[in-house]
Amino acid sequence: MTDAALGSLLPLAVAAPLAGAAVSPLAARLSPRLALVTSLVALLTSLGLLIADAPAVFGGRVLVHYLGGWVPVRGSALGIAFAADPFGLAFALLSAGIGALLVLYTLSELGGLGARELGGFAALVQLLLAGLIGAALTADTVDLFVWFEVAALASYGLTGFFLERPPALEAAFKILVLTTIAGFCVFTAAGLLYNTQGALNYGQLATALAKPLRTADLLALGLFIAGFGTKAGLVPFHGWLADAHTAAPGPVSALFSGLMVNLGIVGIARVSLQIYFAAHTPVLGVLMVLGVVSALLGACMALVQDDLKRLLAYDTVSQVGVMIVGLATANPAGVAGGVYHLINHALFKTLLFLCAGAIVHRTGRTKLSEMGGLARSWPGLAVAFGVGVASIAGVPPFNGYVSLGLIHSGLRDSGQYVPYTLLLLAQVITIAALGRAAWLAFLKPRSESYEQRQYLRLGMQFSLGTLAACCLLFGVVPGYVLDKVADPAASALLGAGQYAAAVLNQGGTITQLHTVFAYADPQELAIALLSVVLGALLAWHMLRRKIPRVLELLRAVHNGSVNDYTGYAVGGIIAVVAAFLV
Amino acid sequence: MVLTIGYLRLLREHAGLPAVARQAMEVALPQWKLSEPVNEVVYGTRGFDTFGETFLLLAAVISVILITRPREPRRGYFGEEAAGRREREEVDPHSGHDRDQEQAREAEKEEAGEPDDAVGGVRSHRRPETPDAEPVGSPAPERAHAMSVVVRTAVRVAAPVLAIAGFYLVAWGYSPGGGFPGGAVMLGVALLVYAGFGRQRIAPVIRPGLLEAIEMSGAGLIIAAEALGLLLKGSFSANWLHLAQTGTILSGGVAQLFSFGELIEVGTGLTIAVFAVLGMSHDWTPDDGEDQDDRGGGGSGSGSGSESGSSSSSSSSSGSSSGTSSGSSSGSGPDSGSSSSSSSGSSSHSASGSTA
Amino acid sequence: MIAVNYLGAAVLFCLGLYTVLTRRNLIKMVMGLSLMESSTYLLFISMAYRARSTAPVLVNPPKGQSGTQLAAGNVADPVLQNFCLTAIVIGVAVTAVFLSVVVRIAQHRRTLDADEVRELRG
Repeated sequence: MTDAALGSLLPLAVAAPLAGAAVSPLAARLSPRLALVTSLVALLTSLGLLIADAPAVFGGRVLVHYLGGWVPVRGSALGIAFAADPFGLAFALLSAGIGALLVLYTLSELGGLGARELGGFAALVQLLLAGLIGAALTADTVDLFVWFEVAALASYGLTGFFLERPPALEAAFKILVLTTIAGFCVFTAAGLLYNTQGALNYGQLATALAKPLRTADLLALGLFIAGFGTKAGLVPFHGWLADAHTAAPGPVSALFSGLMVNLGIVGIARVSLQIYFAAHTPVLGVLMVLGVVSALLGACMALVQDDLKRLLAYDTVSQVGVMIVGLATANPAGVAGGVYHLINHALFKTLLFLCAGAIVHRTGRTKLSEMGGLARSWPGLAVAFGVGVASIAGVPPFNGYVSLGLIHSGLRDSGQYVPYTLLLLAQVITIAALGRAAWLAFLKPRSESYEQRQYLRLGMQFSLGTLAACCLLFGVVPGYVLDKVADPAASALLGAGQYAAAVLNQGGTITQLHTVFAYADPQELAIALLSVVLGALLAWHMLRRKIPRVLELLRAVHNGSVNDYTGYAVGGIIAVVAAFLV
Repeated sequence: MVLTIGYLRLLREHAGLPAVARQAMEVALPQWKLSEPVNEVVYGTRGFDTFGETFLLLAAVISVILITRPREPRRGYFGEEAAGRREREEVDPHSGHDRDQEQAREAEKEEAGEPDDAVGGVRSHRRPETPDAEPVGSPAPERAHAMSVVVRTAVRVAAPVLAIAGFYLVAWGYSPGGGFPGGAVMLGVALLVYAGFGRQRIAPVIRPGLLEAIEMSGAGLIIAAEALGLLLKGSFSANWLHLAQTGTILSGGVAQLFSFGELIEVGTGLTIAVFAVLGMSHDWTPDDGEDQDDRGGGGSGSGSGSESGSSSSSSSSSGSSSGTSSGSSSGSGPDSGSSSSSSSGSSSHSASGSTA
Repeated sequence: MIAVNYLGAAVLFCLGLYTVLTRRNLIKMVMGLSLMESSTYLLFISMAYRARSTAPVLVNPPKGQSGTQLAAGNVADPVLQNFCLTAIVIGVAVTAVFLSVVVRIAQHRRTLDADEVRELRG
């Protein structure tokens, strides 16, 4: 098919889950599980459409489609553009694919829910995924805002799903307040940009911003970063993340951590690397600072948690920091590593959260201090969890090794050694946190047995197995993935001029960068080994002793009050904006 | 500190109209044969934004439905329920009844204890149909279902006018395409009739099942309108209908169809949301405190009695048959939360949130 | 550029933000957020204005100008107004979800104080 025809299929990939969402509540009246089956069908349709577009895009071309045929006139675009560049398409494929797996998991685990609940659940999941796919593929600031808000509203309903748990409503309120403020930031920023540059299209904006920037442009940039940072869970905008991921149902937490935080990262990447690329702003420095702080703070908070899902949520904060550090190096290896880590994080974090959700669902226990001995009574789950932990730890042959190695080499190549050491420190703490979790949940012997029998149903087995296999696969054949996915994505991000031109000309190519990952690099192997050893020691130390003072202070700062979290977020907004204006 | 943000907003430009806007008016407008650029931009050229926003509203309505849903039977073991029970006991430790909570519990019990149509009832008050029989100036709260004859007559006159006005907004207005405001007006009509006539008169029409079906079909209509553009014209949201003369009801092709679908979806969606909140029943967390009161201050071992069916008198919707519901109305805020819903909540019983 | 409008929008935004930051009553927080939303609408409509321009409606143009002349002349900006309409609907949707959550919290926890609904911490 021609490029134009392929491009015109892109909006259908967004419309398919939306149609499924409209049908699901009605289908649920016939039979509750029918709603999930329709959502699975819709997501697989979307995935198929995206895969049809994949060879052209990952070969280095950008598929652009102007909706309704309203092409740009004399360089100014009124119509909405859908531009599938490798970065966006990778994220869209990830969303659709993992979304389908999650629906399959829900079908087997939560299939016993009532008809109304399940219909609403399926509809909201599809709306969320449609929002994510739309935001990844769009090339228009207003459209990005609209899909951002669609995903946000769907997430509000999904957070407060299990009404019988008191944390659910509380977490729903917190995510509401913080994400609404984030929406304002993005909205205001898009309007400011339109006011000064007169453009809503990415390509048009990128060419228009090559001139010297005015104050309003910098303000807009700051607000964009703040708004998308809230969605991504960067410090100090992360107050909602831990609570929302704890209170949401198992597959929904996996969806949030694995896919929805990526929405913020996609937004940040687009704004900082592709729209503002020609301007001289300290955006990369700001992102590096935010990323490193998030990585450290997330890891430290994860070390002291008692609730398993809350621990994993803080680990998400940490990993998002790592991804942003990778993207902020502006170095081919680093950016490719950041994109790779995005894919990997989606895989292993989904795996871990599905395991945690299964534990909560089957045993009714949420706190690590009450769990234990699951390795013996539930070996399948223990293996899956182990694979996830090994992936985060960056142990070969799993996929974390590859992406972390790429980010490290990117940092070394660009000579940024302070972030490098801090990132290594964060990795050690992360390994300690997850090691402690694995010990307490699985290996620690438990005196009494659980009330329910634990076993894995077929849908669960399939989902968990697929994810674990992908973790292994992405770690074992990094060359292929780099070649096909990560490098094109990095090229699209770093070659922003070509991207902008492609968007305005309804199609174009991007020259490919090539990064090489030396698998048996002794430095990387040494880092992996050393971090595992140190992490294990730290975990052993944490299990024996009391919590050190610094961490207690950190815990006290996260006091659960909405006002305080909002205060931190607003302080963050002001700091980011000031960093740009000064 | 906060004003730093405020001050920063002052820096703006005073410039000419951007080229994009010119294009909207000079190029696109004649092509759509509409007369109003804002409309044309919303539903036509940038129709995909509005498309996304329609589903945003759908997401909001479904979220509200989920949050306000009544409890349903589930199959299989759900660990979340056990976890929820344990967490509730941690949160609500039955000690220390402070005044606000006492007041809230009293109010809820009082409102729940009034059955709809029974003669007698808990306090041997029968709820009259209209307050016309009561003397003027009798103390609050009104116990009637509907409002006085003055209000009812006014509603009878006003509601059809408003309904036609809403349709006019969509059909003609300044130029075709006022889906959102039309939907809001429909909601206003529904609320007016509800306030004037009471829940019983409106229950046959405002049923969640029916409204949800209509809303989903509105959403489906919108998807179909946009997608057919793909099939027939090669691009999503392209115009594939015949463009009639400017200023008539059918001008604007797909834009008008979109706007009509929008009216259906927004109107029914907002109505569902509002009536769902009004009809929320309290059957998720049974009131352990009331069990304690009834049994004369037992210990904290109310976990065994906290099954949904056997909870205290405030929630019995799971046991009641379809049709009437005695679910308590939305929590009459104990403290100063002077929400406007409390006025309507005290004078009318909650709308039925019954299962389809 | 209308300085008064921009200042007004900024002040409204700050007031709303102040409410969210300092008030503990959940409904007051919702009202604060609503206020912030309204300030952004004001900002956008003011940004759409051009000096001495008319509304971008081409039916019955003022004396002496045809429709096309008006389109090429001094009118306010319709694209921003479109954006603002979208945002208004988003605001309505978010407020609806907000209020339903608040009512549920009031029902289950019998309190509207944010400090008492604070179990998730640390």
